[in-house]
Amino acid sequence: MSWKKELEEKLIREKLSENLGGKERVKKQHDAGRYTIRERINILTDKSSFHEIGKISGSATYDENNDLVNFSGSNFIFGNAKIDGRNIVVGGDDFTLRGGSADASIREKHLKCEQMALSLQLPLIRIVEGSGGGGSVKTIETTGRANVPEVEGWNLVVESMGTIPRVALGLGSVAGLGAAHLACSHYSVMVKEKSAVFVAGPPVVEQIGQKLTKNELGGYEIQLKSGAVDAAVDTEEEAFNSAKKFLSYLPNSVYQLTEQLSTEDNPNRTSEWLIDAIPRDIKSVYKIRPIIEELVDRNTFFEIGKEYGKSIVTGFCRINGWSIALMASDPYSYGGCWTSDTCKKVQKFVDLAETFHLPVIYLVDCPGFQVGLDAEKKGTIKEGVRAMSAIWQTTTPWLSIIMRNCFGVAGAAHKRGSSYISRCAWPSARWGSLPLEGGIEAAYRSDIENSNDPKAELEKITTRLNKLRSPLRSAESFLIEEIIDPRNTRKFMCEFANLAAPLRKIGMTSRTMRP
Amino acid sequence: MIYSEVSGTLIKILVSKNQIIEEDTDLLVIECMKMHIPITAKKRGKIIDIFIKEGDLISEGDKLLEVVYDF
Repeated sequence: MSWKKELEEKLIREKLSENLGGKERVKKQHDAGRYTIRERINILTDKSSFHEIGKISGSATYDENNDLVNFSGSNFIFGNAKIDGRNIVVGGDDFTLRGGSADASIREKHLKCEQMALSLQLPLIRIVEGSGGGGSVKTIETTGRANVPEVEGWNLVVESMGTIPRVALGLGSVAGLGAAHLACSHYSVMVKEKSAVFVAGPPVVEQIGQKLTKNELGGYEIQLKSGAVDAAVDTEEEAFNSAKKFLSYLPNSVYQLTEQLSTEDNPNRTSEWLIDAIPRDIKSVYKIRPIIEELVDRNTFFEIGKEYGKSIVTGFCRINGWSIALMASDPYSYGGCWTSDTCKKVQKFVDLAETFHLPVIYLVDCPGFQVGLDAEKKGTIKEGVRAMSAIWQTTTPWLSIIMRNCFGVAGAAHKRGSSYISRCAWPSARWGSLPLEGGIEAAYRSDIENSNDPKAELEKITTRLNKLRSPLRSAESFLIEEIIDPRNTRKFMCEFANLAAPLRKIGMTSRTMRP
Repeated sequence: MIYSEVSGTLIKILVSKNQIIEEDTDLLVIECMKMHIPITAKKRGKIIDIFIKEGDLISEGDKLLEVVYDF
């Protein structure tokens, strides 16, 4: 006797689980311009590499002889797979079955998926659509009782934030627990016009008097600016590529280090135009992204959170083949001043770098915190000291290059006092407790007011002080270690990356990051 | 529609109604944190309306210009 019959029965169930929510619902999914979960996993992962776990878990119906009549799979599918030849764990909601909600879910599958990624120390990609296995109002009728809310297994999610890279892709309407999974990641992506993310969708929100469409409530423009989601792309394929690209800069877990990739870009490459990159007129701004692109290995800059906390540009890059976390001030947003959102962005990014042992390079042009009533109402100073503390708690190798402004408490956050950092400045650098332009009138009020010609007196003081603030004078006192030629900045950064690489240490950080 | 991403004082309007604008063109200049910050066109378009005037105090999120991109 062989066991072929049982295997045949298993194959029947497997085949039925591939029907997802049935032809009609699959068609509806396609008509809305969205792939099904199985198609998504197929496109995301290397060909034939997906090993599904629990494919025949779901709900079956039997006749009076206990023979199978029908079988419907669970609406959460997961397993291990490869992307670009590298092992990962992937799990995703099947929106064609009860909109991805708990009614058609098996809770243990979600937990197992989380456990699997955490235990195997592999990156996790969660594809979210619907409520991500959370309950719906109908749950009360299907279970015959109301449940006390509990997110079982969240401890795994929290632990994995400090252990493995988590990427979440929101590929449709995402609400409740689904939205929580999207937000609880190191990197999250939406698809423009096809994804919407909210705590509760339009029908619920209408009950509090807000009549909004999905896009108006939780479309990509809302969620990128709020910082709840990191990126938005035009197609699902682009979302998959973004996930792959993000992971390419990170190790599989905190127990590994990223390797140096070969690069054809010359570490000694000089850039003539950088000598003119910073305008002499201190009121004029400049574009930071071309400078970043010029300094990193060609075409390796991967920006994260472009629309949020815009005074700081954050992203991964390669420097002489090494994976580096790069922050740079953007004067186009509040002149580079740190807003409340900027501070939150810095906290998350610095924690991300520290968690996965990426050295940090910070291109500094920070005139201070944003000032004014708006800034006070948003608690800028509170978020500011949290950002500063996150920087001080880092142990990863750190290089700060002061390109222009470096003022006040926010400016001081370019370095940690707790341990060594590498640091240099461009000749365009200017620093102090407060920019002269904002403080002369206050500091020299009596001199100016008592003068016969207050305007001339102000100009006289300004000229006198301007002569003193040359970065060369600070370097004479060793307040800054080095003034470098901007044209040689890449060489400086490559040398730092080479020196930093052997200093990186594996393991969990003492303070694991929160999402 | 172009909204302000910063708070400050509008010091220059560099475009006029019905003007065709190219990508990366400076449209307005806002003085913010003592810096002159240009608002630039993200893509080619046509100015339909201007909602502000020089000297206005601008808040984050204020409506600045109406622009159409398919014309």
